[in-house]
Amino acid sequence: MNKKQFLQQLESALQKLPSEERYDILQDYEEYFTIGLEEGKTEEEIASSLGSPRQIGKELAASHQIERASTTATASNIMRAVWAVIGLGFFNLIIVLGPFVALVGVLAGGWAAGGAFVASPLLVLVSNLANWGTFQWFDVFVSIALCGIGLFIVIGMFFATKAITKGFLRYLKFNASLVKGGLRHG
Amino acid sequence: MNVQFKKGVLELCVLVLLDKQDRYGYELVQKISDQIEISEGSVYPLLRRLTKEEYFTTYLQESTEGPSRKYYKLTDKGREYLHELIAEWNEFTRGVNQLIKEGEKHE
Repeated sequence: MNKKQFLQQLESALQKLPSEERYDILQDYEEYFTIGLEEGKTEEEIASSLGSPRQIGKELAASHQIERASTTATASNIMRAVWAVIGLGFFNLIIVLGPFVALVGVLAGGWAAGGAFVASPLLVLVSNLANWGTFQWFDVFVSIALCGIGLFIVIGMFFATKAITKGFLRYLKFNASLVKGGLRHG
Repeated sequence: MNVQFKKGVLELCVLVLLDKQDRYGYELVQKISDQIEISEGSVYPLLRRLTKEEYFTTYLQESTEGPSRKYYKLTDKGREYLHELIAEWNEFTRGVNQLIKEGEKHE
């Protein structure tokens, strides 16, 4: 692989990064080639000592996505960060995707339960309209009570979602630095 | 040696090399690869990450031979982190060495 091929592969691995950052990174490797050539190495020698440009690109992309998700934690940013970290290696497929699916499941379940509880008076109404003549006051009272509980669940879920998101991002960050930077807290 | 393990140590190597003087990327990579076998390309992502975490600042400086080079300078925060890492490292190697010594005695 020569310098041009190396830089092209690296650039294509960095497509998802903002152009300014991508340029900055390419600049670093370009500098590396320039100095290496001055010292009498060939482009091929330098490229092979650097290692795979795709792997380097993946590492850089993953830390970028994690950083982005940490500053603005939208669902799509988090998904991108999860994918990027998973892309780092097979090891991460298990150690990241497993907890991620489990947490999404817990959150989805909590929100669904809260939502259903809040909506239960409406459901009683619908059920009474559908099966006319089966009205019972008991249903109404229970559904109002459920609605109240549901509101608490929804409020709780709101905070739980925030906390879990934050925690999971920290886990991602730790994980990315585990794969590329070793155990920093070990 | 195990790749993951070496990558962890890389952070310490980079920080310690910058403790006494500012250096540019190529220089850092060469200094390290003179001593340990590493994948040289992985040093730059590490440098970027540590810069973002404010352990380094960077500046460009003209060189006599060619285009300007990006120098890395350790910040106070970085130096503090370095000292933490060195303490951890010493503790770690002391433990491992002790185990090796005990293991060899029994043979």
